[in-house]
Amino acid sequence: MLSTHPAALEPPPAAFMTGARRLLGSALALKLVAGVLLLIVWEAVVRSFAPAYVAKPSGIARVFGAVISNDEFLAAATATLGAVVKGLAVAILVGVAVGLAMGRISVVERGLRYYVNSLFATPMIAILPLVTLWFGYNADARLAVVVFAAFFSIAVNTSDGARAVPLEYLEVAHSFRARPFSTLLDIVLPSSLPYLIAGLRLAAGRALVAAVVAEFFISIPGLGYYILFHSRTFKHNEAFVAVIALVAVGVSFEALLNWITRRYLPWARRD
Amino acid sequence: MNDTTGGERPRIVMTGAGKRYDALQVFCDIDLDVGEREVLAIIGPSGCGKTTLLRCIDGLLALSAGEIRIEGERMVAPREGVAMVFQHFGLFPWKTVFQNVAYGLKLAGCPKAEISARVPKYINLVGLAGFEGYYPYQISGGMQQRCGLARALSVEPRVLLMDEPFGAVDAQTREILQFELLRIWEMRPTTMVFVTHSIDEAVLMGDRVMVLQGRPSRVHEIIAVDLPRPRDRATLAMPRFAALRERVWGALMDDARRAEFEVKR
Repeated sequence: MLSTHPAALEPPPAAFMTGARRLLGSALALKLVAGVLLLIVWEAVVRSFAPAYVAKPSGIARVFGAVISNDEFLAAATATLGAVVKGLAVAILVGVAVGLAMGRISVVERGLRYYVNSLFATPMIAILPLVTLWFGYNADARLAVVVFAAFFSIAVNTSDGARAVPLEYLEVAHSFRARPFSTLLDIVLPSSLPYLIAGLRLAAGRALVAAVVAEFFISIPGLGYYILFHSRTFKHNEAFVAVIALVAVGVSFEALLNWITRRYLPWARRD
Repeated sequence: MNDTTGGERPRIVMTGAGKRYDALQVFCDIDLDVGEREVLAIIGPSGCGKTTLLRCIDGLLALSAGEIRIEGERMVAPREGVAMVFQHFGLFPWKTVFQNVAYGLKLAGCPKAEISARVPKYINLVGLAGFEGYYPYQISGGMQQRCGLARALSVEPRVLLMDEPFGAVDAQTREILQFELLRIWEMRPTTMVFVTHSIDEAVLMGDRVMVLQGRPSRVHEIIAVDLPRPRDRATLAMPRFAALRERVWGALMDDARRAEFEVKR
Protein backbone atom coordinates (compact mmCIF):
# COMPACT_ATOMS: atom_id res chain seq x y z
CA MET A 1 0.00 0.00 0.00
CA LEU A 2 1.28 3.43 -0.86
CA SER A 3 1.64 5.65 2.19
CA THR A 4 4.16 8.21 0.98
CA HIS A 5 2.82 11.57 -0.03
CA PRO A 6 3.19 12.62 -3.65
CA ALA A 7 6.38 14.35 -4.63
CA ALA A 8 4.48 17.33 -6.02
CA LEU A 9 3.48 18.37 -2.50
CA GLU A 10 6.87 18.17 -0.87
CA PRO A 11 8.44 21.53 -0.07
CA PRO A 12 11.39 22.32 -2.34
CA PRO A 13 14.86 22.26 -0.78
CA ALA A 14 15.70 25.21 1.48
CA ALA A 15 18.67 26.45 -0.60
CA PHE A 16 16.43 26.79 -3.64
CA MET A 17 13.87 28.77 -1.65
CA THR A 18 16.30 31.40 -0.36
CA GLY A 19 17.73 31.78 -3.85
CA ALA A 20 14.28 32.36 -5.30
CA ARG A 21 13.42 34.82 -2.56
CA ARG A 22 16.56 36.85 -3.15
CA LEU A 23 15.76 37.01 -6.87
CA LEU A 24 12.19 38.09 -6.08
CA GLY A 25 13.49 40.75 -3.69
CA SER A 26 15.82 42.22 -6.27
CA ALA A 27 13.07 42.15 -8.91
CA LEU A 28 10.84 44.16 -6.57
CA ALA A 29 13.63 46.66 -5.92
CA LEU A 30 14.18 46.97 -9.67
CA LYS A 31 10.47 47.65 -10.23
CA LEU A 32 10.43 50.36 -7.56
CA VAL A 33 13.56 52.07 -8.91
CA ALA A 34 12.16 52.02 -12.47
CA GLY A 35 8.82 53.42 -11.25
CA VAL A 36 10.44 56.26 -9.33
CA LEU A 37 12.67 57.10 -12.33
CA LEU A 38 9.64 57.25 -14.64
CA LEU A 39 7.84 59.59 -12.23
CA ILE A 40 10.90 61.84 -12.02
CA VAL A 41 11.20 62.01 -15.82
CA TRP A 42 7.46 62.76 -16.12
CA GLU A 43 7.62 65.50 -13.50
CA ALA A 44 10.73 67.06 -15.07
CA VAL A 45 9.37 67.03 -18.62
CA VAL A 46 6.03 68.56 -17.62
CA ARG A 47 7.68 71.27 -15.48
CA SER A 48 10.14 72.22 -18.23
CA PHE A 49 7.95 72.12 -21.33
CA ALA A 50 4.21 71.98 -20.52
CA PRO A 51 1.65 74.51 -19.27
CA ALA A 52 0.85 74.48 -15.56
CA TYR A 53 -2.48 72.68 -15.89
CA VAL A 54 -0.95 69.51 -17.43
CA ALA A 55 -1.02 66.56 -15.03
CA LYS A 56 2.23 65.79 -13.22
CA PRO A 57 3.00 63.43 -10.31
CA SER A 58 3.28 66.17 -7.68
CA GLY A 59 0.00 67.74 -8.84
CA ILE A 60 -1.80 64.38 -8.82
CA ALA A 61 -0.47 63.62 -5.35
CA ARG A 62 -1.72 67.01 -4.15
CA VAL A 63 -5.34 66.51 -5.32
CA PHE A 64 -5.52 62.72 -4.86
CA GLY A 65 -6.95 62.67 -1.33
CA ALA A 66 -9.53 65.35 -2.05
CA VAL A 67 -10.70 63.68 -5.28
CA ILE A 68 -11.17 60.16 -3.95
CA SER A 69 -13.19 61.42 -0.98
CA ASN A 70 -15.27 63.68 -3.23
CA ASP A 71 -18.93 62.62 -3.60
CA GLU A 72 -19.10 63.37 -7.30
CA PHE A 73 -16.03 61.23 -7.96
CA LEU A 74 -17.34 58.36 -5.82
CA ALA A 75 -20.69 58.46 -7.62
CA ALA A 76 -18.88 58.39 -10.97
CA ALA A 77 -16.69 55.45 -9.93
CA THR A 78 -19.69 53.54 -8.57
CA ALA A 79 -21.66 54.13 -11.76
CA THR A 80 -18.88 52.92 -14.07
CA LEU A 81 -17.96 49.93 -11.93
CA GLY A 82 -21.65 49.03 -11.51
CA ALA A 83 -22.21 49.08 -15.28
CA VAL A 84 -19.13 46.93 -15.88
CA VAL A 85 -20.08 44.36 -13.24
CA LYS A 86 -23.72 44.23 -14.32
CA GLY A 87 -22.74 44.00 -17.99
CA LEU A 88 -20.21 41.26 -17.30
CA ALA A 89 -22.80 39.31 -15.30
CA VAL A 90 -25.27 39.39 -18.19
CA ALA A 91 -22.51 38.57 -20.70
CA ILE A 92 -21.35 35.60 -18.59
CA LEU A 93 -24.85 34.15 -18.16
CA VAL A 94 -25.83 34.44 -21.81
CA GLY A 95 -22.31 33.91 -23.20
CA VAL A 96 -21.78 30.65 -21.29
CA ALA A 97 -25.19 29.32 -22.38
CA VAL A 98 -24.60 30.24 -26.03
CA GLY A 99 -20.99 29.02 -25.89
CA LEU A 100 -21.92 25.62 -24.42
CA ALA A 101 -24.70 25.20 -27.00
CA MET A 102 -22.32 26.10 -29.82
CA GLY A 103 -19.60 23.82 -28.50
CA ARG A 104 -21.77 20.75 -28.06
CA ILE A 105 -24.62 21.02 -30.57
CA SER A 106 -23.35 21.01 -34.13
CA VAL A 107 -26.51 22.57 -35.60
CA VAL A 108 -26.13 25.58 -33.30
CA GLU A 109 -22.40 25.74 -34.03
CA ARG A 110 -22.85 25.64 -37.79
CA GLY A 111 -25.65 28.18 -37.64
CA LEU A 112 -24.04 30.72 -35.33
CA ARG A 113 -20.26 30.43 -35.57
CA TYR A 114 -19.91 32.72 -38.57
CA TYR A 115 -21.95 35.50 -36.98
CA VAL A 116 -20.50 35.18 -33.50
CA ASN A 117 -16.95 35.30 -34.86
CA SER A 118 -17.77 38.29 -37.05
CA LEU A 119 -19.34 40.21 -34.21
CA PHE A 120 -16.43 39.24 -31.95
CA ALA A 121 -14.17 41.00 -34.44
CA THR A 122 -16.44 44.06 -34.69
CA PRO A 123 -15.19 47.08 -32.71
CA MET A 124 -18.01 47.77 -30.24
CA ILE A 125 -17.41 51.51 -30.53
CA ALA A 126 -18.75 51.31 -34.08
CA ILE A 127 -22.24 50.41 -32.84
CA LEU A 128 -22.30 53.04 -30.11
CA PRO A 129 -24.21 55.70 -32.14
CA LEU A 130 -26.76 53.05 -33.13
CA VAL A 131 -27.20 51.90 -29.54
CA THR A 132 -27.98 55.46 -28.43
CA LEU A 133 -30.73 55.54 -31.04
CA TRP A 134 -32.30 52.43 -29.56
CA PHE A 135 -31.80 53.15 -25.87
CA GLY A 136 -31.48 56.95 -25.73
CA TYR A 137 -28.62 58.91 -24.18
CA ASN A 138 -28.70 57.15 -20.81
CA ALA A 139 -27.14 54.47 -18.65
CA ASP A 140 -29.02 51.69 -20.50
CA ALA A 141 -27.05 52.48 -23.65
CA ARG A 142 -23.80 52.18 -21.69
CA LEU A 143 -24.91 48.84 -20.26
CA ALA A 144 -25.82 47.59 -23.73
CA VAL A 145 -22.39 48.50 -25.13
CA VAL A 146 -20.65 46.82 -22.18
CA VAL A 147 -22.67 43.62 -22.73
CA PHE A 148 -21.97 43.73 -26.46
CA ALA A 149 -18.24 44.22 -25.84
CA ALA A 150 -17.98 41.38 -23.29
CA PHE A 151 -20.44 38.81 -24.63
CA PHE A 152 -18.63 37.56 -27.72
CA SER A 153 -15.24 36.84 -26.18
CA ILE A 154 -17.00 34.78 -23.49
CA ALA A 155 -19.20 32.92 -25.99
CA VAL A 156 -16.29 32.21 -28.36
CA ASN A 157 -13.98 30.98 -25.61
CA THR A 158 -16.64 28.86 -23.89
CA SER A 159 -17.57 27.20 -27.17
CA ASP A 160 -13.89 26.44 -27.86
CA GLY A 161 -13.64 24.93 -24.40
CA ALA A 162 -16.84 22.91 -24.80
CA ARG A 163 -15.60 21.53 -28.09
CA ALA A 164 -12.21 20.64 -26.60
CA VAL A 165 -13.63 18.38 -23.85
CA PRO A 166 -11.46 15.24 -24.04
CA LEU A 167 -13.42 12.29 -25.46
CA GLU A 168 -12.21 10.16 -22.55
CA TYR A 169 -14.29 12.18 -20.09
CA LEU A 170 -17.39 11.87 -22.25
CA GLU A 171 -16.79 8.14 -22.62
CA VAL A 172 -16.62 7.73 -18.83
CA ALA A 173 -19.83 9.73 -18.44
CA HIS A 174 -21.53 7.60 -21.09
CA SER A 175 -20.31 4.39 -19.47
CA PHE A 176 -21.82 5.47 -16.14
CA ARG A 177 -25.06 6.30 -17.95
CA ALA A 178 -24.99 10.08 -17.46
CA ARG A 179 -27.88 11.99 -18.96
CA PRO A 180 -27.00 14.72 -21.46
CA PHE A 181 -27.88 17.54 -19.06
CA SER A 182 -25.83 16.06 -16.23
CA THR A 183 -22.90 15.60 -18.63
CA LEU A 184 -23.19 19.25 -19.60
CA LEU A 185 -23.12 20.52 -16.00
CA ASP A 186 -20.82 17.89 -14.52
CA ILE A 187 -18.28 17.36 -17.32
CA VAL A 188 -18.50 19.90 -20.16
CA LEU A 189 -18.81 23.01 -18.00
CA PRO A 190 -15.95 22.30 -15.55
CA SER A 191 -13.77 21.07 -18.39
CA SER A 192 -14.39 24.38 -20.23
CA LEU A 193 -13.69 26.56 -17.17
CA PRO A 194 -10.06 27.36 -18.04
CA TYR A 195 -11.24 28.59 -21.45
CA LEU A 196 -14.06 30.54 -19.83
CA ILE A 197 -11.60 32.26 -17.48
CA ALA A 198 -9.42 33.21 -20.47
CA GLY A 199 -12.50 34.63 -22.19
CA LEU A 200 -13.46 36.51 -19.03
CA ARG A 201 -10.00 38.07 -18.80
CA LEU A 202 -10.47 39.44 -22.30
CA ALA A 203 -14.11 40.40 -21.67
CA ALA A 204 -13.29 42.37 -18.50
CA GLY A 205 -10.82 44.58 -20.36
CA ARG A 206 -13.19 45.12 -23.26
CA ALA A 207 -16.08 45.90 -20.88
CA LEU A 208 -14.06 48.56 -19.10
CA VAL A 209 -13.09 50.20 -22.40
CA ALA A 210 -16.72 50.05 -23.54
CA ALA A 211 -18.02 51.72 -20.38
CA VAL A 212 -15.50 54.58 -20.56
CA VAL A 213 -16.03 55.21 -24.28
CA ALA A 214 -19.80 55.10 -23.83
CA GLU A 215 -19.51 57.75 -21.10
CA PHE A 216 -17.37 59.94 -23.37
CA PHE A 217 -19.97 59.71 -26.09
CA ILE A 218 -23.20 59.79 -24.09
CA SER A 219 -22.07 62.18 -21.35
CA ILE A 220 -23.57 60.32 -18.40
CA PRO A 221 -22.02 60.29 -14.92
CA GLY A 222 -19.07 57.90 -14.74
CA LEU A 223 -15.28 57.82 -14.64
CA GLY A 224 -15.07 58.33 -18.41
CA TYR A 225 -17.20 61.43 -18.27
CA TYR A 226 -15.30 62.59 -15.18
CA ILE A 227 -12.06 62.41 -17.17
CA LEU A 228 -13.60 64.18 -20.15
CA PHE A 229 -15.13 66.99 -18.09
CA HIS A 230 -12.00 67.70 -16.01
CA SER A 231 -9.73 67.57 -19.06
CA ARG A 232 -11.84 70.17 -20.82
CA THR A 233 -11.88 72.40 -17.75
CA PHE A 234 -8.08 72.20 -17.46
CA LYS A 235 -8.11 70.10 -14.30
CA HIS A 236 -5.77 67.44 -15.62
CA ASN A 237 -4.55 66.34 -12.21
CA GLU A 238 -8.12 65.54 -11.12
CA ALA A 239 -8.78 63.76 -14.42
CA PHE A 240 -5.69 61.66 -13.93
CA VAL A 241 -6.93 60.39 -10.56
CA ALA A 242 -9.88 58.87 -12.43
CA VAL A 243 -7.43 57.24 -14.86
CA ILE A 244 -5.62 55.73 -11.88
CA ALA A 245 -8.97 54.46 -10.58
CA LEU A 246 -9.63 52.74 -13.92
CA VAL A 247 -6.17 51.14 -13.83
CA ALA A 248 -6.94 49.91 -10.31
CA VAL A 249 -10.23 48.38 -11.47
CA GLY A 250 -8.55 46.60 -14.40
CA VAL A 251 -5.72 45.28 -12.25
CA SER A 252 -8.20 44.15 -9.56
CA PHE A 253 -10.19 42.13 -12.11
CA GLU A 254 -6.99 40.47 -13.25
CA ALA A 255 -5.99 39.71 -9.66
CA LEU A 256 -9.45 38.36 -8.87
CA LEU A 257 -9.35 36.00 -11.85
CA ASN A 258 -5.87 34.80 -10.89
CA TRP A 259 -7.04 34.19 -7.35
CA ILE A 260 -10.10 32.25 -8.56
CA THR A 261 -7.89 30.13 -10.81
CA ARG A 262 -5.47 29.34 -7.99
CA ARG A 263 -8.17 28.72 -5.42
CA TYR A 264 -10.80 26.82 -7.42
CA LEU A 265 -9.00 25.50 -10.51
CA PRO A 266 -5.69 24.26 -9.14
CA TRP A 267 -5.83 21.41 -11.66
CA ALA A 268 -6.16 23.66 -14.69
CA ARG A 269 -2.50 24.60 -15.10
CA ARG A 270 -1.15 21.09 -14.83
CA ASP A 271 -2.42 19.28 -17.92
CA MET B 1 -17.32 -22.65 -27.86
CA ASN B 2 -19.97 -22.17 -25.23
CA ASP B 3 -18.10 -23.96 -22.48
CA THR B 4 -18.02 -21.74 -19.43
CA THR B 5 -15.99 -22.88 -16.47
CA GLY B 6 -17.66 -24.52 -13.50
CA GLY B 7 -20.92 -25.20 -15.33
CA GLU B 8 -22.33 -21.82 -14.30
CA ARG B 9 -25.04 -19.89 -16.04
CA PRO B 10 -23.38 -17.52 -18.50
CA ARG B 11 -23.66 -13.83 -17.63
CA ILE B 12 -22.37 -12.52 -20.96
CA VAL B 13 -23.44 -14.19 -24.20
CA MET B 14 -21.88 -13.11 -27.48
CA THR B 15 -23.33 -14.52 -30.69
CA GLY B 16 -21.93 -13.73 -34.11
CA ALA B 17 -20.62 -10.40 -32.81
CA GLY B 18 -19.02 -8.27 -35.50
CA LYS B 19 -18.00 -4.64 -35.87
CA ARG B 20 -17.15 -2.70 -38.99
CA TYR B 21 -16.26 0.95 -39.61
CA ASP B 22 -17.26 1.62 -43.21
CA ALA B 23 -14.80 -0.47 -45.25
CA LEU B 24 -12.84 -1.69 -42.22
CA GLN B 25 -14.11 -4.91 -40.66
CA VAL B 26 -12.58 -4.86 -37.17
CA PHE B 27 -13.73 -8.24 -35.85
CA CYS B 28 -16.39 -10.76 -36.78
CA ASP B 29 -18.02 -14.04 -35.82
CA ILE B 30 -17.30 -13.85 -32.12
CA ASP B 31 -19.31 -16.44 -30.22
CA LEU B 32 -18.54 -16.79 -26.55
CA ASP B 33 -20.17 -17.07 -23.15
CA VAL B 34 -18.64 -15.73 -19.97
CA GLY B 35 -19.72 -17.27 -16.66
CA GLU B 36 -20.91 -15.53 -13.52
CA ARG B 37 -17.67 -15.87 -11.63
CA GLU B 38 -15.37 -16.13 -14.58
CA VAL B 39 -12.47 -13.93 -15.64
CA LEU B 40 -12.04 -13.84 -19.39
CA ALA B 41 -8.77 -12.39 -20.62
CA ILE B 42 -8.72 -11.09 -24.18
CA ILE B 43 -5.36 -10.82 -25.90
CA GLY B 44 -4.31 -10.06 -29.44
CA PRO B 45 -1.92 -7.95 -31.51
CA SER B 46 -2.21 -4.17 -31.48
CA GLY B 47 -5.12 -2.92 -33.53
CA CYS B 48 -6.93 -6.27 -33.41
CA GLY B 49 -10.02 -4.65 -31.95
CA LYS B 50 -9.94 -6.05 -28.43
CA THR B 51 -10.67 -2.65 -26.94
CA THR B 52 -13.43 -2.10 -29.51
CA LEU B 53 -14.97 -5.43 -28.52
CA LEU B 54 -14.89 -4.40 -24.86
CA ARG B 55 -16.65 -1.12 -25.70
CA CYS B 56 -19.31 -3.10 -27.53
CA ILE B 57 -19.78 -5.30 -24.45
CA ASP B 58 -20.23 -2.13 -22.35
CA GLY B 59 -22.73 -0.76 -24.86
CA LEU B 60 -20.56 2.28 -25.60
CA LEU B 61 -20.34 1.20 -29.25
CA ALA B 62 -22.98 -0.54 -31.33
CA LEU B 63 -22.22 -3.86 -33.04
CA SER B 64 -22.59 -4.12 -36.81
CA ALA B 65 -23.56 -7.80 -36.69
CA GLY B 66 -24.72 -10.34 -34.13
CA GLU B 67 -25.49 -9.45 -30.54
CA ILE B 68 -24.11 -9.31 -27.04
CA ARG B 69 -26.41 -10.04 -24.12
CA ILE B 70 -25.68 -9.43 -20.47
CA GLU B 71 -28.03 -11.16 -18.04
CA GLY B 72 -30.26 -11.83 -21.02
CA GLU B 73 -30.54 -8.18 -21.97
CA ARG B 74 -29.26 -7.05 -25.35
CA MET B 75 -26.53 -4.41 -25.01
CA VAL B 76 -27.35 -1.34 -27.03
CA ALA B 77 -26.35 1.22 -24.39
CA PRO B 78 -24.47 1.12 -21.07
CA ARG B 79 -26.59 -0.47 -18.37
CA GLU B 80 -26.73 -0.81 -14.62
CA GLY B 81 -24.55 -3.56 -13.15
CA VAL B 82 -21.74 -3.16 -15.68
CA ALA B 83 -18.73 -0.93 -14.99
CA MET B 84 -15.59 -0.23 -16.91
CA VAL B 85 -12.01 0.65 -15.93
CA PHE B 86 -10.18 2.59 -18.63
CA GLN B 87 -6.58 2.51 -19.76
CA HIS B 88 -6.59 6.31 -19.74
CA PHE B 89 -8.01 6.23 -16.16
CA GLY B 90 -10.69 8.72 -17.18
CA LEU B 91 -10.52 10.60 -13.88
CA PHE B 92 -11.96 14.10 -13.91
CA PRO B 93 -9.14 16.52 -13.01
CA TRP B 94 -11.52 18.98 -11.31
CA LYS B 95 -12.80 16.32 -8.91
CA THR B 96 -10.94 15.01 -5.88
CA VAL B 97 -10.33 11.29 -5.37
CA PHE B 98 -13.48 11.17 -3.23
CA GLN B 99 -15.61 12.99 -5.80
CA ASN B 100 -14.27 10.84 -8.64
CA VAL B 101 -15.12 7.63 -6.78
CA ALA B 102 -18.55 9.03 -5.92
CA TYR B 103 -19.30 9.91 -9.57
CA GLY B 104 -20.86 6.60 -10.56
CA LEU B 105 -22.93 6.40 -7.38
CA LYS B 106 -24.19 9.94 -7.86
CA LEU B 107 -25.32 9.15 -11.39
CA ALA B 108 -27.00 5.97 -10.17
CA GLY B 109 -29.15 8.16 -7.93
CA CYS B 110 -27.60 6.93 -4.70
CA PRO B 111 -28.69 8.97 -1.65
CA LYS B 112 -26.05 11.26 -0.12
CA ALA B 113 -25.81 9.35 3.14
CA GLU B 114 -25.12 6.11 1.32
CA ILE B 115 -22.50 7.75 -0.90
CA SER B 116 -20.61 9.05 2.12
CA ALA B 117 -20.71 5.57 3.63
CA ARG B 118 -19.79 3.61 0.52
CA VAL B 119 -17.08 5.77 -1.03
CA PRO B 120 -14.60 5.50 1.89
CA LYS B 121 -15.14 1.74 1.90
CA TYR B 122 -13.93 1.42 -1.68
CA ILE B 123 -11.19 4.00 -1.23
CA ASN B 124 -9.88 1.83 1.61
CA LEU B 125 -10.28 -1.32 -0.47
CA VAL B 126 -7.96 -0.01 -3.19
CA GLY B 127 -5.50 1.37 -0.64
CA LEU B 128 -6.12 5.08 -1.16
CA ALA B 129 -7.18 5.92 2.41
CA GLY B 130 -5.84 9.36 3.33
CA PHE B 131 -5.89 10.61 -0.26
CA GLU B 132 -9.63 11.41 -0.46
CA GLY B 133 -9.06 15.14 -0.84
CA TYR B 134 -6.28 14.94 -3.44
CA TYR B 135 -6.74 15.89 -7.07
CA PRO B 136 -5.62 13.45 -9.77
CA TYR B 137 -2.67 15.64 -10.78
CA GLN B 138 -1.32 15.33 -7.24
CA ILE B 139 -1.11 11.53 -7.22
CA SER B 140 0.91 8.99 -9.22
CA GLY B 141 -0.38 7.05 -12.22
CA GLY B 142 -0.74 3.89 -10.13
CA MET B 143 -2.80 5.73 -7.54
CA GLN B 144 -4.91 7.27 -10.27
CA GLN B 145 -5.79 3.84 -11.57
CA ARG B 146 -6.57 2.67 -8.04
CA CYS B 147 -9.03 5.54 -7.98
CA GLY B 148 -10.47 4.48 -11.36
CA LEU B 149 -10.85 0.96 -10.01
CA ALA B 150 -12.59 2.21 -6.86
CA ARG B 151 -15.00 4.24 -8.99
CA ALA B 152 -15.94 1.14 -10.97
CA LEU B 153 -16.17 -1.11 -7.89
CA SER B 154 -18.24 1.36 -5.87
CA VAL B 155 -21.34 0.81 -8.02
CA GLU B 156 -20.97 -2.90 -7.10
CA PRO B 157 -21.08 -4.14 -10.69
CA ARG B 158 -21.87 -7.73 -11.61
CA VAL B 159 -19.71 -7.33 -14.71
CA LEU B 160 -16.37 -5.56 -14.53
CA LEU B 161 -14.79 -4.59 -17.84
CA MET B 162 -11.08 -3.84 -17.76
CA ASP B 163 -9.60 -2.06 -20.76
CA GLU B 164 -5.81 -2.57 -20.49
CA PRO B 165 -6.15 -1.06 -17.03
CA PHE B 166 -2.45 -1.27 -16.20
CA GLY B 167 -1.14 -0.42 -19.66
CA ALA B 168 -0.27 3.16 -18.74
CA VAL B 169 1.62 2.54 -15.48
CA ASP B 170 5.24 1.50 -15.00
CA ALA B 171 6.26 -2.15 -14.76
CA GLN B 172 6.62 -2.40 -10.97
CA THR B 173 3.36 -0.59 -10.29
CA ARG B 174 1.69 -2.83 -12.83
CA GLU B 175 2.73 -5.95 -10.88
CA ILE B 176 1.59 -4.46 -7.60
CA LEU B 177 -1.78 -3.55 -9.08
CA GLN B 178 -2.24 -6.99 -10.65
CA PHE B 179 -1.96 -8.68 -7.27
CA GLU B 180 -4.14 -6.03 -5.64
CA LEU B 181 -6.81 -6.71 -8.24
CA LEU B 182 -6.57 -10.48 -7.69
CA ARG B 183 -6.97 -9.90 -3.94
CA ILE B 184 -10.00 -7.66 -4.48
CA TRP B 185 -11.57 -10.07 -6.96
CA GLU B 186 -11.18 -12.94 -4.43
CA MET B 187 -13.16 -10.91 -1.90
CA ARG B 188 -15.98 -10.29 -4.34
CA PRO B 189 -15.75 -12.57 -7.37
CA THR B 190 -17.72 -11.22 -10.32
CA THR B 191 -17.70 -11.60 -14.06
CA MET B 192 -14.63 -9.85 -15.39
CA VAL B 193 -13.47 -9.26 -18.95
CA PHE B 194 -9.84 -8.21 -18.98
CA VAL B 195 -8.28 -6.82 -22.14
CA THR B 196 -4.49 -6.82 -22.17
CA HIS B 197 -1.52 -7.17 -24.48
CA SER B 198 0.62 -8.73 -21.80
CA ILE B 199 0.74 -12.53 -22.03
CA ASP B 200 1.74 -12.86 -18.36
CA GLU B 201 -1.14 -10.67 -17.29
CA ALA B 202 -3.64 -12.61 -19.40
CA VAL B 203 -2.57 -15.96 -17.91
CA LEU B 204 -2.33 -14.59 -14.36
CA MET B 205 -5.80 -13.01 -14.43
CA GLY B 206 -7.87 -15.21 -16.67
CA ASP B 207 -9.82 -18.39 -16.19
CA ARG B 208 -9.70 -18.51 -19.96
CA VAL B 209 -7.60 -16.57 -22.44
CA MET B 210 -9.23 -15.64 -25.72
CA VAL B 211 -6.69 -15.03 -28.46
CA LEU B 212 -7.92 -12.77 -31.25
CA GLN B 213 -6.18 -12.95 -34.61
CA GLY B 214 -6.43 -12.16 -38.28
CA ARG B 215 -7.86 -9.36 -40.37
CA PRO B 216 -10.65 -9.00 -39.51
CA SER B 217 -10.03 -10.47 -36.07
CA ARG B 218 -11.64 -13.75 -35.17
CA VAL B 219 -11.37 -15.99 -32.13
CA HIS B 220 -8.15 -17.83 -32.93
CA GLU B 221 -8.00 -19.96 -29.82
CA ILE B 222 -9.47 -20.15 -26.35
CA ILE B 223 -7.04 -21.43 -23.77
CA ALA B 224 -8.36 -22.63 -20.42
CA VAL B 225 -6.14 -21.54 -17.54
CA ASP B 226 -6.26 -24.29 -14.95
CA LEU B 227 -4.15 -22.53 -12.37
CA PRO B 228 -5.50 -22.71 -8.81
CA ARG B 229 -7.05 -19.70 -7.12
CA PRO B 230 -6.37 -17.64 -5.12
CA ARG B 231 -3.48 -16.63 -7.32
CA ASP B 232 -0.54 -14.63 -6.05
CA ARG B 233 3.15 -14.15 -6.69
CA ALA B 234 3.77 -17.86 -6.19
CA THR B 235 1.54 -18.56 -9.20
CA LEU B 236 4.13 -16.93 -11.44
CA ALA B 237 6.71 -19.53 -10.35
CA MET B 238 4.55 -22.57 -11.19
CA PRO B 239 5.71 -24.75 -14.09
CA ARG B 240 2.09 -24.82 -15.23
CA PHE B 241 2.13 -21.01 -15.51
CA ALA B 242 5.18 -21.18 -17.76
CA ALA B 243 3.57 -23.86 -19.92
CA LEU B 244 0.36 -21.83 -20.35
CA ARG B 245 2.39 -18.75 -21.08
CA GLU B 246 4.19 -20.63 -23.87
CA ARG B 247 0.88 -21.79 -25.33
CA VAL B 248 -0.55 -18.28 -25.47
CA TRP B 249 2.76 -17.04 -26.84
CA GLY B 250 2.66 -19.65 -29.60
CA ALA B 251 -0.94 -18.77 -30.49
CA LEU B 252 -0.06 -15.10 -30.74
CA MET B 253 3.30 -15.20 -32.45
CA ASP B 254 2.62 -16.35 -36.01
CA ASP B 255 0.32 -13.45 -36.49
CA ALA B 256 2.45 -10.94 -34.62
CA ARG B 257 5.42 -11.74 -36.83
CA ARG B 258 3.30 -11.41 -39.93
CA ALA B 259 1.96 -8.07 -38.69
CA GLU B 260 5.45 -6.74 -37.95
CA PHE B 261 6.65 -7.31 -41.50
CA GLU B 262 3.46 -6.22 -43.19
CA VAL B 263 3.95 -3.44 -45.71
CA LYS B 264 1.52 -0.58 -45.15
CA ARG B 265 -0.39 0.49 -48.23
